[in-house]
Amino acid sequence: MLSALTPALHAKEELVTLPKRDTVQLTIYNSVDLTLVRETRELTFKQGNNRLQFSWANTLIDPTSVEFNALTNADKVEVLDTSYPAQSNQMLIWTISAEAATSARVEISYFTSGISWNAEYHGMLSTDERSMTLTAYVGVSNHSGEEYEDAKVRLVVGSINIVEEIAALAGGQRDERMKEAYGKMRRADASENAKKDIVKEGLSEYYIYTVEGQETIPNGWSKRLESFVQTGVPLRTVYTWDPAKYGNQLVKLLVFKNDEAHKLGKEPLPAGIVRLYRDAGAGRLGFVGMVATDYIPKNDEVKVNAGADPEVQLKSKRNSYKKENLTFQWSGNRQYIAGWDTLEEFELDIKNFRNRDVDFEINVRLSGDFDFDSKTESTKIDFQTQRFALNMKAGESRQISYTVRTRFGTNIKNK
Amino acid sequence: MNKRLLLTLAGAAAISSVIGIAKPEPVNARIKLATLPDKEAVVVRFDHPHQVLVEEERTITLQKGVNTIDFSWAGTNIDKGSIVFRPVAADTKVEILSTSYPPGEAALTWSISSPDARSEKFRLSYLMANIQRETDYRAIVSNDEKTLSFKHYFKIRNWSGGTFDSADFITRDGKTFEKGLDQGEAKRVLVNKWDGVKLTKEYVYDLTRQYEGKVMTDYVLKNTKDMGLGAIPLEYGKVRIYQDDGKGTTAFTGEDWGQFTPIGDDMRLNIGIAQDIKVEFKKMVNNVENRRGNVYDTNEVDEYEIKNFKDSEATLILVLRVQGEWEMQKDSSGYESFEREDNETIKFKVKCPAKGEPVKLKFHYKRLNNW
Repeated sequence: MLSALTPALHAKEELVTLPKRDTVQLTIYNSVDLTLVRETRELTFKQGNNRLQFSWANTLIDPTSVEFNALTNADKVEVLDTSYPAQSNQMLIWTISAEAATSARVEISYFTSGISWNAEYHGMLSTDERSMTLTAYVGVSNHSGEEYEDAKVRLVVGSINIVEEIAALAGGQRDERMKEAYGKMRRADASENAKKDIVKEGLSEYYIYTVEGQETIPNGWSKRLESFVQTGVPLRTVYTWDPAKYGNQLVKLLVFKNDEAHKLGKEPLPAGIVRLYRDAGAGRLGFVGMVATDYIPKNDEVKVNAGADPEVQLKSKRNSYKKENLTFQWSGNRQYIAGWDTLEEFELDIKNFRNRDVDFEINVRLSGDFDFDSKTESTKIDFQTQRFALNMKAGESRQISYTVRTRFGTNIKNK
Repeated sequence: MNKRLLLTLAGAAAISSVIGIAKPEPVNARIKLATLPDKEAVVVRFDHPHQVLVEEERTITLQKGVNTIDFSWAGTNIDKGSIVFRPVAADTKVEILSTSYPPGEAALTWSISSPDARSEKFRLSYLMANIQRETDYRAIVSNDEKTLSFKHYFKIRNWSGGTFDSADFITRDGKTFEKGLDQGEAKRVLVNKWDGVKLTKEYVYDLTRQYEGKVMTDYVLKNTKDMGLGAIPLEYGKVRIYQDDGKGTTAFTGEDWGQFTPIGDDMRLNIGIAQDIKVEFKKMVNNVENRRGNVYDTNEVDEYEIKNFKDSEATLILVLRVQGEWEMQKDSSGYESFEREDNETIKFKVKCPAKGEPVKLKFHYKRLNNW
């Protein structure tokens, strides 16, 4: 991939193959298809101008991102220019001037696409559903066309701004070297005998997860590592009626917070899929529900939709419908209806057949020029939503009534 | 007597060696490279935002009387109408009498009168198409996000059909670098570097820039001497931003297009989403009032609940827009300051306490329908 062209004008004749890269560090982003690769090599320079060729056929490297940086003897070597020859769009040549013959440890960095990472969470609920053991994983997949052996892996949690896609800038075709990768993957697996730690640190608006030690990620393969395990994370169950969000059904939401009270909150949780399971007895699992969460900041809440629960029911019905305050207007010699009110009485019939107390959050959405009235306490969420928040004991059932007067036509006052 | 000189600029054969002198007798054939005089200087100027001006100097031996010089540019992208040819010396006795354009050819001839036999230096200027230029920047932000080191690169790609063996390339801000550039080749050079440039970090909510209502993190650079820049107007270009991770290396933290920034102006760069600050919008009141005939006013209360989940306090700038004739009402609350930028735009600064403690911005306004 990297070759030196000692003071020569014609690239091909003077091509010198350099030693393999000494170290590789991958910084992988999950919000965009981008990985920052840094590799270091020991290079020898002759006095005067040295030409160094870097090529990347069959990989997904963005040519505009390739950087050369001397880590040692940086004051003795200088990049005069970077040339992108006409005959190849997967190659560049640096002209580097050295004031005397010297060697330097250099870092070459570039963006590649095709490597991604994602987060996943498994929650194992206690039998009373009041707590869970939460295990977080990070998975890394390499489809970049390049194999990264013994790489230091860093994962960036956050949503960086990218104005052009790296894959589009790379413009190359990938070469899936699956068979070659397979053997290497097996070797890498065999050498792994302990779980690796993942160190989490903040940087600007992002978090960087550094995987302990080194990883080999052959092209075409994915790998999953455990990020953390936390036992005894308290869980709250809230039965929620919110047609705008969950459709026309009462759904069971399992809620926890990413904070200290929930034994979490050490760092934000990257976006990913949360799957909740329960103990189905005899070491078997039952699936409870899943949600694809957005990034969860420290102290923020996570709601996992476990779907409908037949043991907890809500029925909404309209018990009466009346028209009142009719007003008419003349048009020629006839009278026409011009304004009216409707008066509706609704009833929410809620039953908790479970053997535990549960919380409810019922959102009633209204429209037009309306007056809302209920003997049960409710909160105005916005100009067209009222919310009833309830706690009901095991086996309890309850009715909530509310009336809605809606004005139409010339009766409309403030809509 | 008509003396004929020949200047050839053809294809890859080159800008570097294109001017020929003919024998004093009229000739029709183009002169071979071997007999050409040396080119003295080629300058490629990028000071115009869209056009590239090439200037070359040649010393031509003239005979007494009228001399004819041929100039042709087959295979290169020279703008015929832009060609300017003149002697370099201001007090020259040499005079260019006329320019003739042969039909259907990328060529022209000049008639030049000379009072005696002499060597005269000429300068030939023309606009050349398909030399692309691109500016880009690399910023390395300090770990504390207070300063950055700012590198300015200039990249040229040559699709003009000509080849520059060696030329002085002059950027818009007057930086000169001498390079060779083949047809189809691109070169990128570092033209400026500023260290210790001060930056301001801002959190911004603006639906016209981020329609999902996520909070953006912006870096604002001021192109002034006080802030460590101010040497040149900054060209439009991509800025890639890296941050010192405090461990001897850097992490890429985002990129944005830097707009053309004159001296004294700001360059605003969005690096990404500030995911630890969340804004929830609710319309609390949306009423009609003051109905007159078929017109009415509206009375609206918009509420923005902001949660800053960071460990430290932050200031959020909310850029809100209301169309038409409207007035903010006195009971609007929750902000530290506001500025009505223009009729449609109001900017609120809201202090957001740490660790997710919610703060509410109440924006109460009436849209008026006055006739």
